[in-house]
Parts: sequence; C-alpha cells; structure tokens
Amino acid sequence: MLARALETAGIATTAISMVREHSEKTKPPRALFVPFPFGHALGRPDDPGLQHRVLRAALDLLAEPAGPVLRDFPDDAEPGDQPPAPAQASGIAITSTVPDDPALETAQIRQYHEQWVARGGGRTTFGLAGVPATRFRGVVRFLQAFAAGEEADMEERPADLPLADFIRYCADDWKTLYWEGRMAMKPAAGGDEIARWFWGETAAGQVLRRVRDRLDASADARWKAAAFGVAR
Amino acid sequence: MPRLDRLPQINRNNLLMLPVQVNDGGPFTPLTRPLAACRLAIVTTAGLHRRGDQPFGPGEQTYRVIPADTPPADIVQSQTSLGFDRTAIMRDLNISFPVDRLREMVAQGTLGGVAPRHYSFMGAQRDVKRIEQETGPDVGRLLREAGVEAALITPT
Repeated sequence: MLARALETAGIATTAISMVREHSEKTKPPRALFVPFPFGHALGRPDDPGLQHRVLRAALDLLAEPAGPVLRDFPDDAEPGDQPPAPAQASGIAITSTVPDDPALETAQIRQYHEQWVARGGGRTTFGLAGVPATRFRGVVRFLQAFAAGEEADMEERPADLPLADFIRYCADDWKTLYWEGRMAMKPAAGGDEIARWFWGETAAGQVLRRVRDRLDASADARWKAAAFGVAR
Repeated sequence: MPRLDRLPQINRNNLLMLPVQVNDGGPFTPLTRPLAACRLAIVTTAGLHRRGDQPFGPGEQTYRVIPADTPPADIVQSQTSLGFDRTAIMRDLNISFPVDRLREMVAQGTLGGVAPRHYSFMGAQRDVKRIEQETGPDVGRLLREAGVEAALITPT
C-alpha cells in the first residue's frame, strides 16, 4: 500500500518482499521476493557482494515498463544457518541456572556491550527510552517493580508518553544491551541462539516475561499492544 | 523466506491469517530515464529513525525523516514486531537500510544519485488507511519535491 501511494505521487518503486504469499495478494507495482530469514532483507550482514546482487536485482525491476511484477531472487539457498525466524519466549524453556540478580547481571553484560560499541566504531541500536546505559540500573529496578505488580514509573518518562510505551522502549533497550553484548562475547552467535540464551538463561529474560504477563493481563489495549512488543 | 513451508506452523498460520490487502493491479509510474541518471530514496518499513526521534508506537502510521548523511551510529530501530532476527541490523545497517551500498553504486556510475532524505515507516501493521491516504502520499510529494524519481522499499 505504501508502494501504491508513492506510485500515485509519481515515484517509481521497487520493493523487497519477504513473504511471497503476501505480495501475490497486495500486488505491489514491482517487487523482488527474497528467500532470506526475517531481518535479512538484503541477504547477510557484512556481505556487500550479496547485498549488491540483491540490490541490483531489485533495482533492475525499475526498468519494467508495466506491472505488477513479482520476481524471485535466483538464490534458493538461505544464507548461513539461521532459521526463518528466531524462537519466541513462549517456546523457550527456562533453565535451572538463571542468576537471581538482574541488576548485577546487567552490569556484567554492560561491559561486553561497551566492547561491542567500541568495536563497531560507536554504533549501537541502544537508545529508545532516553535513559543512558550508564544509568540503566534505574531502568532494571523500574522494570522489576513493574513486573512485581507495584506502581512503578520513572522521572525520565516524558509526560506525553504513555507508561506502556515507555516500558516497551525500556525493554527494547535492555534487550539491545544483551543482544549486542552477547555478540561481543560470542561473535558467531546467531539471532535464534541469542534469543534462546536470553529467554532461557538470563535474569533479565525472566523479568521481561513477567513484565509481558502484567501488560497482557490488562484490559487496556495500549498495554496489550506493548505486551506484544516485549515478549511472545 | 522465509519460504512459508519452512516456518514453524504457528508462525506460518500467523502470517497467512494477516489481513493483507488484495489488489488487482494499481497505479504504476514508469521510470523514463535509466537508473544511472536517476535519484533514488530508501523508504523503509523497518521502523528505523534517528536516536532522539520519537520512537514508533503500536499501530503508528506516521513516518520519520532520515537525512542521507545521518551516521549509522545515530540510527536506531523501534519496530514492534518480534518476528525477525535483530542481530542482522545490529551487525550491519545495510541489511535493511543500504546507504553504503547505494553510495557505492553512485561511485560506480550505476545509480545517478541518492536522495537527500530517506523515509521510514513501521511495518507489520494491520490498519494502513492513514498510510494510504495521508502519510504515504505526503512522502511521495516530499520525494518529488526533492527531485527523486525512484524509491526502494525495504522491510526489516
């Protein structure tokens, strides 16, 4: 639908499609179906050669004189050994070795996260909630209190931002510390492996399961929507 | 993929039950010049934006502007969906937002130029009326005003 709006405005579009069955119905003007896992639209991270081939195949469709055109990227093999989508919390068993102090665990993970940021030239996807990583202990306490059913809030939450949305951004930032920290620890770890570690073996994962449960139990649609973005 | 037949059944069913639009053809703007003479923008549905921009909320159908010279270190993602592997974009922004690849194409002469501003929406939405009627057309107009002829639409 985005493609249709842009075409109507006079912009020629070409889209990368991850779900062929959807594109067959929505019929965007030009689309390239790619056989890659969700999150891997251009193939594989840090593989400019493959990314250029995908990009070229998508942009070649711009020369088509009429549409809709739905073409398949010729490579059938999925890159790497990643599953199509990472496992979700509800499908991951909790191990018996989960640490009991999420704040201490987070402080340890933060050291790895700092390595990640240093190695990547300062790049991190952390930073939705507006609370810096150096003060993340306060976020951990806040999420623990919320998970325990207490009246919890933070002064860093902007007055016009609903509590449920702020909670989701805090949860996203917490996960980012762990995901990126884990990649500094184990550079070859894939997304599915990290999801299984986080939800199955970390104290943070268990707090976020309970945050999700409390949000989901609410009758408020905003809370339920936030729950859906925290864990499934 | 993910080829749906290789997904776990619960994911497969979720995707097949998503109420996607069924269209029968539609608007089509031919590109009248070769790509090597055209200016291209990225319009992504990956929920990307600059750190410090208001993150995307659930069901939000507005967009964020990402100036083409934004350093990758300043770009974050507030996509609500949990159904994708975040490690790819954490490792390499180009996986969904190929700014480096486009710059390389311009240097090689295969692409005329990169738009001054890219645009970002949040995908995986059920209700898209406002995108269709208001925010999508807004972005189209802004692209035209910036001399952009073509857009690459990327998911997460």
